[in-house]
Amino acid sequence: MNTIESVVLLSDLDAMIREAQSPESRTRLRKLGFDLEGLPRVMAARGKLAESIDRRWTTSYERTQKRYGRAVAAVRERVCSGCCLTLPTTARPRDGDAAAPQHCEGCGRILYWA
Amino acid sequence: MPLAALPENDLSLCIPDLKSKKKDAALAEMVGAAEAAGLVSGRDLLLELLKLRERLGTTGLGKAVALPHARSLTVREPRIVVARSTRGIDWQAGDDMPVHLVLLTLAPAEWSDDAFHALVARTAASFRLQRTRQKLMSAPSPQEFAVASRLALA
Repeated sequence: MNTIESVVLLSDLDAMIREAQSPESRTRLRKLGFDLEGLPRVMAARGKLAESIDRRWTTSYERTQKRYGRAVAAVRERVCSGCCLTLPTTARPRDGDAAAPQHCEGCGRILYWA
Repeated sequence: MPLAALPENDLSLCIPDLKSKKKDAALAEMVGAAEAAGLVSGRDLLLELLKLRERLGTTGLGKAVALPHARSLTVREPRIVVARSTRGIDWQAGDDMPVHLVLLTLAPAEWSDDAFHALVARTAASFRLQRTRQKLMSAPSPQEFAVASRLALA
C-alpha cells in the first residue's frame, strides 16, 4: 500500500469511526441488527495505520480533516468530488509515495484519483 | 438511477455460487466482482475497509443473511452485490447460523450518513421475508438467481 492509499484508507476509516461514535448512527445501526462493540479494536487499527504514514502527509491530513470533516476527495472525470471543481488539464495523478500530498486548487482537500 | 437498474442479462453483480468458504475470502470474491464491473477503483483498499468493518462488529444479521457494507472513496457508484453460498459461511452471526446470502452494500464516500443508512436499511428490508430468501436459495440457474435478486431489490 503506498502513501496515498494509506491516507484514503485512513479517511474511510475515520468516517466509519465517526459513524460508530455518533449516538444517532449507533441507534440506527443497532436497530438494523448490527453490533458495534469492536470500536476499541478499530481505533487501535486506526492508530497503527496513522503511525505508518509519513508525518508530512498526516499533518496535512489532520489539518484538512479539521476543516472539512473529510480530508480526502476522490477525483472522478477530472472533477474534485469535494468542491466539484474541474481540475485543469495539466493536473495529473502524482506518485502515490510523493513527498507531499496533492491538494485541490479549489478546496484544498487531498486528491485521490479514483 | 434505481439500484436494480441493470441490464436484464447483466450477471456481474450476482454471484450465484460463492467459491469461498471463509468470510474474508468471500468478501474478496465479491469485491473482485465489483471491480470487474467497474464500480471500484482500489480493490485492496475496499477489502481492507470491509475487514475493519467486520472488526467493528459482525455484519451477520442472522437468518443466514450477512450485510457487509462500506462507504468509500474507492466506490464510484452505489450498488449491491448479491451472493449465495450453498454450503454456508461462518460469519460469526448472533444466531451462530452459517450465512447463505451475502448482500455487499457499497456507496461512494460523499454519501451522507442518512443516505447510506437508508440504503443499508432498504437492502436489509428487501431480504427480510423468508419467501424472498427461499426464492434466491432455490433459483436453479445464474440467470434466475439474478432475476430473483433484482426483484428483491426493486
